[in-house]
Parts: sequence; C-alpha cells; structure tokens
Amino acid sequence: MNPLHDPQSFSRRTFLKRSGMGFGTLALADLLSTSNLTASETHFPGTAKHVIHVFLNGGMSQVDTFDPKPELTRRGGQMLPYKNLQTERQTGVALPTPFKFKRHGKSGIPVSEIFPHLSQCVDEMAVIRSMHAELPNHELSLMLMNTGDQRLQRPSFGSWLTWGMGTGNQNLPGFVALCPGGLPVGGAGNWKSAFLPGAYQGTHIDTSKTDPREIIQYVHNDRLTSLEQKNQFKLLQTLNNQHLDARPSELALEARIRSFELAYRMQMEATDAFDVEQEPEHILRLYGEGPQNRQLLLARRLVERGVRFVQTWHGNLQPWDSHEDINKAHRKVAAECDQGLAALIIDLKQRGLLDETLILCTGEFGRTPSVEMSQSGGGSVAGRDHNHWGFSLWLAGGGIKGGTIHGATDDFGFQAVEDRVSIHDLHATMLRLLGFDHEKLTYRYAGRDFRLTDVYGSVVNRIIA
Amino acid sequence: MMDDNWDLAPPEAYFRTPVAPKTLDMRSFGQGNMSRCLLSRVVLSSRHRVHLVGRAGTIISVVLLTTMASGEEVPYNERIRPIFAENCLECHGPDEENRKGDLRLDLASSVKGQVIVPGHPEDSELFRRISSDDPNKRMPPAETGKSLSAAETEAIRQWILDGAKYQGHWAYEPVRAATPPPESVSGDIDRFIVSALKKQGLALAPAVTRQQLIRRVTFDLTGLPATWEEVTSFVNDDSPRAFEKVVDRLLDSTRYGERWGRHWLDLARYADTHGGSAIGFIKFPFSYTYRDYVIQAFNADVPYDRFILEQLAADQLELAENHPALAGLGFLTVGMQFRNKHDTIDDQIDVVTRGLLGLTVACARCHDHKYDAIPTADYYSLYATFASSRKPPLLPLIGKPEETREYREYLAELLRRQKHHRHMQREQAAITRSRFRMQVGLYLREIARGAPEFDTSIAFISFRTEDLRPRLLNRWRDYLGSMSEDDAVFGPWLRASELEEEGFRESCLALVEALIKENGDPGKWSDAEMLKMGSNAPRWNPLVLDAISRNKPESLLELADVYGELFARAHQRWLGVLSEAALAANAEENVPDEDSSFLDLNSPVQRQLRTHLYETGTPTAMTDDLTARVLNRPFRDLVRDRKREIENLHLQSAGSPARAMTLQEDEKTDDFHVFRRGNPIDRGEVVKPRFLQVLSGASAKTFTDGKRRLDLAKAIVDPANPLTRRVIVNWVWQHHFGQGLVRTPDDFGVRGRPPTHPELLDYLATTLIEDDWSLKKLHRRILLSDVYRQGSIENAEARTLDPENELLWRMPRRRLELEAMRDAMLAVSGELDEKRGGRPFDLLSDPVVPRRSIYAFVNRDIVSSLASTFDAPNPSSCTARRPETNVPQQTLFALNSGFIQDRAVELAGMKEITSAKSDAEKVRSLYQRAFSRSPEPQELGLALSYVQSGDGESKTNVWQRLAHVLLAANEFIFVD
Repeated sequence: MNPLHDPQSFSRRTFLKRSGMGFGTLALADLLSTSNLTASETHFPGTAKHVIHVFLNGGMSQVDTFDPKPELTRRGGQMLPYKNLQTERQTGVALPTPFKFKRHGKSGIPVSEIFPHLSQCVDEMAVIRSMHAELPNHELSLMLMNTGDQRLQRPSFGSWLTWGMGTGNQNLPGFVALCPGGLPVGGAGNWKSAFLPGAYQGTHIDTSKTDPREIIQYVHNDRLTSLEQKNQFKLLQTLNNQHLDARPSELALEARIRSFELAYRMQMEATDAFDVEQEPEHILRLYGEGPQNRQLLLARRLVERGVRFVQTWHGNLQPWDSHEDINKAHRKVAAECDQGLAALIIDLKQRGLLDETLILCTGEFGRTPSVEMSQSGGGSVAGRDHNHWGFSLWLAGGGIKGGTIHGATDDFGFQAVEDRVSIHDLHATMLRLLGFDHEKLTYRYAGRDFRLTDVYGSVVNRIIA
Repeated sequence: MMDDNWDLAPPEAYFRTPVAPKTLDMRSFGQGNMSRCLLSRVVLSSRHRVHLVGRAGTIISVVLLTTMASGEEVPYNERIRPIFAENCLECHGPDEENRKGDLRLDLASSVKGQVIVPGHPEDSELFRRISSDDPNKRMPPAETGKSLSAAETEAIRQWILDGAKYQGHWAYEPVRAATPPPESVSGDIDRFIVSALKKQGLALAPAVTRQQLIRRVTFDLTGLPATWEEVTSFVNDDSPRAFEKVVDRLLDSTRYGERWGRHWLDLARYADTHGGSAIGFIKFPFSYTYRDYVIQAFNADVPYDRFILEQLAADQLELAENHPALAGLGFLTVGMQFRNKHDTIDDQIDVVTRGLLGLTVACARCHDHKYDAIPTADYYSLYATFASSRKPPLLPLIGKPEETREYREYLAELLRRQKHHRHMQREQAAITRSRFRMQVGLYLREIARGAPEFDTSIAFISFRTEDLRPRLLNRWRDYLGSMSEDDAVFGPWLRASELEEEGFRESCLALVEALIKENGDPGKWSDAEMLKMGSNAPRWNPLVLDAISRNKPESLLELADVYGELFARAHQRWLGVLSEAALAANAEENVPDEDSSFLDLNSPVQRQLRTHLYETGTPTAMTDDLTARVLNRPFRDLVRDRKREIENLHLQSAGSPARAMTLQEDEKTDDFHVFRRGNPIDRGEVVKPRFLQVLSGASAKTFTDGKRRLDLAKAIVDPANPLTRRVIVNWVWQHHFGQGLVRTPDDFGVRGRPPTHPELLDYLATTLIEDDWSLKKLHRRILLSDVYRQGSIENAEARTLDPENELLWRMPRRRLELEAMRDAMLAVSGELDEKRGGRPFDLLSDPVVPRRSIYAFVNRDIVSSLASTFDAPNPSSCTARRPETNVPQQTLFALNSGFIQDRAVELAGMKEITSAKSDAEKVRSLYQRAFSRSPEPQELGLALSYVQSGDGESKTNVWQRLAHVLLAANEFIFVD
C-alpha cells in the first residue's frame, strides 16, 4: 500500500523521528509495521555498527607508546632543531623515552613496555602515527576531537551517530559517556548534541559508582515496594487508556503510554546492563580490577545490548596530562587501562562482536619529545608538554585493517610529516566504516546544512580492511 | 544587479489559498518521489528540518500539492522555487564565488534566452540537462548526491511550457491588507481558515467544552492550570462575553509575562552563564535583569516595535540614566561569551536576523548566502553595526538602590576591589610594556621574515614572556608601514628593506656610507659632541648608522637584531637615567639638571630612539587595557583574579543592586571590511553599517555613527519592512497552535516553508499596526476565534487530505513544556511561591524551591539532564521552536523522581483533601486540583477501589500514591 494514502503514516513518521532518541526508539517496528524504515539508515552498508571511544584524556605521549624514535634517544639532552613549533609551555632539550620498545605479533608493530597486555593485540590494531590537531590547549583539542570544531558548539560524534543511525536498544541510552569519579575537562560539553535535539546528547555515567540503581537517573523508585509500584502503574495506565479512548487515534498520547511501559520495564533491564558484577569470574579476571578496566567491560556489555556509541574517559580532568615525570605518570595511567584494553579486543572478538565494533583509542593530542621546563622552578624536569603537531592513536575492529601502521612523524616524533591525518580525516574514516558518507550526513540548522567534518576530511582508505 | 531578483511583478499565486486536491494527482507524486519521501530524514513541521542529503525529497505540503492537480499554471513560488533551492542553487544561486557556469537559476534575467526558452522545454538547455540520460550531462551531478524526481522534472517542464514565469519570493513582498473571504462565521480569522477548509470539504472540529476551553487558555496564557473556582465560575457565567472576560483576566495577570516571557527567552538564547568554559562555569551577575525586563515588557504590553528598539538600542533612546528599559539590551549581551569578538558578533547577527526577521543571515559570513539574496557584504554591514559597541566598564544601576547597610558595605567593597584590579593591571601592564621595549628586535625580525598578519582576536594560547604577541606585531607592522623614509631612526631600515638579499651586506654598508655623508662632519657626532646638551640631532641618527657600520649585517634579519640591540640599550639607559634622576631628589648635594651626569637624559640623539618607544601612538606605548590582553600567563592570571573578585562581589553580595547589561557605542571607528571566507585577516571591500539590501534596497542609507544599533532597530520595525511583523505574528500564532502559519518560524527565506494561509498571515501583520503593535490585542484576536475553540479530535478523512493539519481542521494537541509541567505540579500541590523576579534559584535543589521555572538558573555550560530530557531550548543559540521528543527518561521521571513524589505528598496532604468528609470527596478534590474537573462516576469508582484495596505496610500512604498517578497521567501533561 502506498504509505501516503495511509492517513496515519505521515504523522507516524514525524512522530517517530521525535521519539527515537536517547533511551532508544519507541518500538519502531511495531508502530511502523507497514514500512521498511529501520533504525539504521546508513548511506551504504557499513562494517561497524557500534563505536567504543577510549579517551585517554590529557594526551598520550606518542614517543613513549606507539612511535619509537631512536634518534631522540641519540640526541637526548641536546636542543632539537625546531624553530616554530610552539606548544603551550616552554620546552627544552630532547627527552628520550624511559621505556623499552619491542615488536609484537605477526605485523611486528612496536609498542612500549607500558602496554604489556595491549601489545599482544597489535595484529587487530591500526596505529596512526601521523595525527595532528590545531592547538596545544586541552579544551579546544577536546572539542575538536569530539565535535570536529574547536571554537563553536557543535554536536559530538556520538550525537551525530545516534541521530544518523538510531539506537539498537530501546531500553538503554544510545550514546553513553563513562567517566569514573567526575568529569573530564570541558565536562558535558564533550558529549553535547548542540543543535541536534537534546535527546541525542550523551548520557554521562559515573563509573566510580557501582550500584546500577545510582547510575541511571530515576531508574529506581526507593519509596515504593514493587507491589505498590505495580498496582500504582496499573491504575496509571488504566487512566491513560481511558483518556486515550475518549481521544481516539491520538499518536502523542499513545506514545506516552508506550513510553510508560518501556520505562517500567527498563527499571529492570537497564540496571541489569550496568551491573558488571553479573559477569562470570573468568571475564572479570580477563579485564582486571580498577574503574578503568571495569568500565571497558561495561562498554562491552552496553555495545552487546545495542548501545550505539560508548565513550570511556580515563578519569576526571586530565589523567594522561604528564607534564612532570613521564616515566612515573605514564606508567601509572597505562597500567590502569592496559589489561582492560586488551581484554576488550579479545572479548569482543570471541563474541563475534569485534567486526562490528569500532574501537578508537586516543587522547586529544600527543606530547612533546622535548622536556617541559618546570614552571615553578622546582620539581621534576622529566615531563612533556602538550603537542598537537603530531601524535599517535589506534583503532581496532569494525572493519579496520589490523596490523597496520599509517603515517609518520619526523625523526624526533614532534611533527606529523608523512601521510598526515587530521581529526576531520579521522572522523570521515570512522563514518565511512559506519556506513556514512561524511559529506552527506548533514543536518539543516539556521539555514545551513551542517556536517561533522565541516568542509574538510578525507577517508584514510589504507587502514580499512 | 540585485534588484531584479525580488523586484518582480507581484505574484498572484502568493495569494492563492491552499487547496488540496480532491484526489491525489499522481503527476505530482510519482513512485520515485514516494520512496524518497519514505526514506527521508525530514522531521516534518519542525524548525530544524532534518535530512540526509540525497534522501530528503523536497518537502511536500498540501499547499504544494494543490496546483498540479487543478490544471492551473505551475506557480514558481510554490512548486519550482523549492526544487531549485533544494537541488540547484548551491552552485547556480546568489553565491557568486561558488557559482558554476556563470548561471543563476533564481534570476529570470540569467536564464531567459540562455538555458530556458519559455514555452519550449525541449529547446531549453535546463530541461535537457535535468532530463538527460547521459551521466556526464545530467543535472544535478551525481556527486552532489542530489537528484530530481520524475514529478519534479515534469513540474519544471510544465513550468517552462507555461512560459517560465518567475515570481518574487513571498516573504520579501510587501505586507498586503487582505480582506477576509465572505464566510458566515463570526470572526475574520475564522473566515480565512474556514474558507480554506471548505474548499476541501472540511470544517472546523466541534468546539471544546467550557471546562476544556478554560484549561486550555489558562495554560496557554499563563503556563498554569485553571483552578476549580475559575472553571466553575466560567462554566456558570451565561454572559455572552464570558470567555472574553476570562481572556482579559488572564492577559492582565502577571503570570502572563512569566509564560510568554519564557517563550521570548528561548528566542533570545537566554542563559545565566558565559558558556564554553572548560572547568566549572562563569555566571553572569546580572542576566536576571534582562529576564525580568522581558517579563515586565510582556506584562506591560510594551508595543512590539518599542520592545525591539529597547532590546537593540535602549542606550540610544535618551532614557534616564538608570531607566529599567536599559536592561532590554540583554538581548544582545546575554549570549554565549566567545573567545573572540567575531563569534560574539556572529551570535548577535544571528539572534537579530533569525529571531526577529526570520532570515538566516549568519550563513553569509563566509560566502554569499547560497539560497537567499544575502551577500556577504550585508553580513559585514551588520558586523560593522555591532562591532562598534562594547560593554561599559561598569554596568548602570537599574533605578536608585536603597541606602541599606548591605548596599553601603557592598559599595565600599566594590571600590576596594576596583582599586585592587586597577592597580594590579597598571603595574603588570607597566612591566610588560617595559619588556616589550627590550624585545623590539623580535618584532623587527618577524617583519623582516615577511611573517603574515595575525588575527589577533583568536590568539588564545596563553603567552609566555618571550612569546611574540600578534597584536604588538601588527602594531609594529602598521607603524613602520606608515612611516616616512626620512625618519632619522627607521629611515635606514626602510631603505635597507628594499635591498636585494644577494649582496645585502655590501649594499647595506654602501647605503649607510651615503647616509653618513648626508649627516656631514662625522667629527661633529663624536660621543662628546653628540651628547652635548642642546645640540640638534643630525638628519640620520648616528647611533643607528654607527651600529650598522660596526655590525655589518648580512641580511635584513641581522639588521633587525642591530636595531633590537639599539632599542634595548636605549630603554635600559632610560630606566637607569630615570633612577639616577630620581635619586637626585634626596641627594645631600643638589645636583643641577644641567650636570654632565644627566647628559643622556638630555641627548637629542638618544631622544630620537626613545621617541619610538615612548611616544603616544608608538607600538609599545600601549594602553593598560590593551596591554592587559597580551600579558603573560602568570600576570594575566593575577589581573584576571582581581577582575573576578569584582564580578563575584556583584554576584554574591547581599547589597549588590540590579544592573542592566548594556552596551555603549563608539562615535568613531575604523572602517570595517568584508572578511573573505570569514577570515578576519583577509580583508575585502570596505562596508558601511546599514540594513540588508534584500529589505531596503542596494542604496540603503548608512547608519548614523554612534547610533548604528538604533538605526538598525528602526529599520527592523519600519512598517515597510515585510518580515518583522510577519515573523512576530507567526511566532504568536505558533505558540497558540503549536505550529506557525509559516512552519519554519526562523527561516522565511527560500528554503523555508511558505505560509499555509498567506492572506491570514498578512491580515494579522496588518492588524498589528492597527493595534499599535500590541501583542495582547493580537492574542485577543486569536483567542476569541472559533478556530481557537475547536477540539483536538482526530479525523481520518481530514488526515488523509491534509496529513500535517496545515488547514487546521483540528486544534493540535499540546503537551506542557518543562517549565509549565513543573509549575503546574507546584500549583496543584499548593506550593507555588508567587515571588517574582530577582536572582535565579537552582532548579535541581532539594528541597525544592517552589518558584516558577522561568526564575531558575540556566546553565549554558552544563545543561542539566532535566533540561535535555524535557526538550529545553539550546541556551547557546536562538530557538524559535523547541523540538518535541518523547523518550523514556521523561516517563521514568514521572514514575520515580523525588520531585513528582514530593508534589504528590504535598497534594495529598492539603487541607482540602485531608479534611474532606469522605473518600469520594477526597477523590473529587484531587481531580479538581489536578485536572480542573470532577471525576466521572466510573473514574471515581476506580480511584476508590484503588485506595481501599491497600498494598499492606507502606512508607507512603495510598492517597499520596493516587495523587502521584494523577500528576503522572497523560491528562496532566496533555492539554485538550
């Protein structure tokens, strides 16, 4: 039947568009049984269906992790031959990495010793060594990484994606930001929806809390017994249905009735999803202890249940921001997530989910190969400043060609020089894997068709399988 | 060139009332189009039209459907323009820079005889290209992701066949007084609506009951539920003016301003914090004064034209010094505080044009508007209008503060903190300037290297002492750029700048030799002679010539170092000399100023150098304010902390009086230029501050210096301006009916949707002037219509003919917004605190502050989950229409939030409930409070059996649980 001749179809679709966000769409299939509209409306079939973005907030140092530079070690203590590479603070002589590098896997990708677990998974990973951002400031670079614009409020990647694809689970938020013990720099701005409807904003969850009932707002009623709630709910829906009977075919009323049913069920299901302790012992052991490892496990549980975009933040403010004593500081933060990162790849793979789950692991920028001059005059002088000129990140799963190294920095690892990849290129590539042409995923706002990649971005085909 | 774009013959079709065909004509709805529609991401009738490019079909409405079926000519405005706008104008439209093939499809003169042969589609290149099978020829090109449906192609063919008649875009045509069609219904508004309905064989839905009507209109005008007393009094009033009295009572209520003021604040992107902050957030101390101004303006029914004048230019209306209307300028100043002024001005342009004119002028920041006739020059004309204004150092008080003890304490503390700030800034600036004088070489080197100009406004990396300051570099560049080649100090530099790199050393030395000769007797300039008091300096500064001769620079870069060294030494000597000279004050022996130890002080040769360091207007002689912007990080933080202390005092002190967030305009400013591609350092033509060409012609008059904003405001409210009145009546209509007559309330341009009832829109715009711009009179006209009284009842037949209810065959059902929902719950539970105005309260605080939601703190940096769950507007950008989403978080809130359960406890505990004589009475009372009606017998039975069955031991009592049900129910949230 021609849907336009169905008196309801027009407004049904209108209405659905306004429904299916945040905590999932409203039983799309039920309400739209006559149409082939599905939750995922991509431009072409994508390999990835979910994204887990592991945010090493503060900035991971490339020369201490994925971009070994023997020349830097050789020139340790000497001034490096740069004139115009300004970073946030003053830096001095070359600071060799205190870590040992070793080649791993069939691909032989070198990884430093601070990632003993993760380095076992290099054959699943594509390492980009030629990333660059635009400025050495945290907040601006965080915005750039998350929204593609460092100045103006724009929707974040997760908002674009949940808007573009819908969500795979109606009982859970489509876009979740996990951060233990507080908020990263920039706070909720990192997962804002800007001009996309508010329902596409990321839902922040403090993973230092362990009781799932505390994690999701209003998911639990602590004043009523379950019997009381059941009886009360029955009365509520009876009244709502009577109200609807007097106003037949009223979609908005129907929708809220459905939404109540959903909310009522969610009280159980959502708590379930966030309850990591339900995992068997061997899985808990695989991921290891600590909030960073545990939230990676949570990320898997969410993706498994259809959540579209999960962002895991290492911790509040900027834990990877090692201005002083890179040896101690980077060792510590790497140790907090290394096991979980490896476990995430292994676990997704053994469940057959790695192919459809795109993992991105990156900070907002990298760090200088030169030593940061201590601000106070005292303290340690073995730290590194912010560096947007060049940095490394890695991706895995979701159609990424494992065991790949793409691009290169200069001899000392300061500036990306070969096959440079911008944040827009990264976004374009990720969208490609998810089935979107980044130039065509647009939203009209204030008269203009906005894109995540603005007017930039080209797909890095070499890291696509 | 611009004129013929809109100055076309008045379009008849513009006034054609929408007529839906009796049967859908498949000529306009090919199968291809159908599937595109199905897949499209279009949120119909939403302000934000959402689409995936390549999937979105042109929006199809009843209005557009009409024409093809009726066999009339294909109207350009309704049928063709949207196709062009959506598919073609990006490359063949007003944007000159991106135009392909020198073709504009929006302009008759560009196409006729070129690509269109009127009457002959087959001979028209346009038609051949859009219908071509050859992928290399076919338009639009495949790579744009756009394609025309068979129906669209056919429409264009038919239109060309009909003579390819262009029309001006409806929104730019003058407002025309329209006569209501002769229908036998009571009011003019009804005549327009009913006449259009009748043509489709439709009619208004039956009117609602009086109980439903008063509940509807009370929420509509005040955002609160009608009380039971109000309901019964209206139901029992058999006067013919009964409803009129209700409307007047509500319009007179101060609750009206709190409701409609909130609507306006959406448009004004109101918030109480700066936005864009990394950690924490910064509060405006006085944003609330704008909010209160708006509420007051609505309550006082300030004429809409005056309302605009005050919000754009209250400071230029010659109001008394502390006039409350000054707070209206918050419209421009409560926006997001960007890191650079360009974005702040962009935000002002956007809120003024999109909010007040329904035009998306901000699109023209980087290129000519791709769809509407808004060239980049227009954008920068408005830029020039706003860029000459800035915040005054201290905001003006509103009214005269009471001389309380708190106020006196505040005042004393304010003076103290201001002094601290001033001192800190002065001293840090002095140190910094002094350092800049030691760094002249750094800047000359940059200039020697030919470093490009910086955009100083986006230099937000914090500075270190040794960092180059772009702002200072620009000053040096400008200074040297306008300097005479005969300058005693920089003459040699300027001349050397022109030397070839090759053999620089030799030619530079030769140059210096020549200059030494011009100076004459070198002996005269020996150290002793040179320093002799009273001597006149020679033509060329001998210190400069001497230093060059000695250092023999190999390049201009090295010459820069020579100069740098000279200036650094001159500055150091000057500091030393000052110190010495100062010591003379306390010397035991009086040292006369003529003493040889003061030779340096009086040396004309040294003075030549010093002039370039200390004279007003020289690069390093920056004002304290200017220097404050380029301090290094520790200094900047010190000054900023002092500034913050002042702001904190304004914010926190009990005695801090209300102040208006005003602007002041400079009388004289530099010229403003177009920024090519939006880039502030790529300056194009000079622009004059003036109004949009599309509204006032290419020869619009330049705004008066010092009163640019006032002139802008006057141009906006000029009755000849076709947009302002249409936009505001549409906005009011939208808030009464859920949808505007123009469904894209902030885009009346060619990609917006045309009005469903163009004549009604113009009728309302005309009456607005007759009513002296009174919005309350406009409300009355609308509310007293039959259209407003009709029920919101689904009608399958009407839905088929008019799926979007454009013809208004029923009242759209309304859902309470966040604020109304919250306020209604507080009102029903008897808690609502009627206190008006003042500093904001925390919406999420527990225990709850039971004030109206409009007085709550709006955080632009951290949008609360409550706000995003319940579709609160984006506080960073003008919102003409909120999205309406339906997510389970909303119902979770209704089931489990402490807020709703606390209200239920209060409601169940009200005296009128607890003291009721029977359970039935209690239920009746609860219903009357929550739903403004009594329960039906069946409902009563249901409630009684619920409360009497009991769930055993419990923390809550069953009446509270019942009250909770009523507050959560659909009937509470949805208005009939």
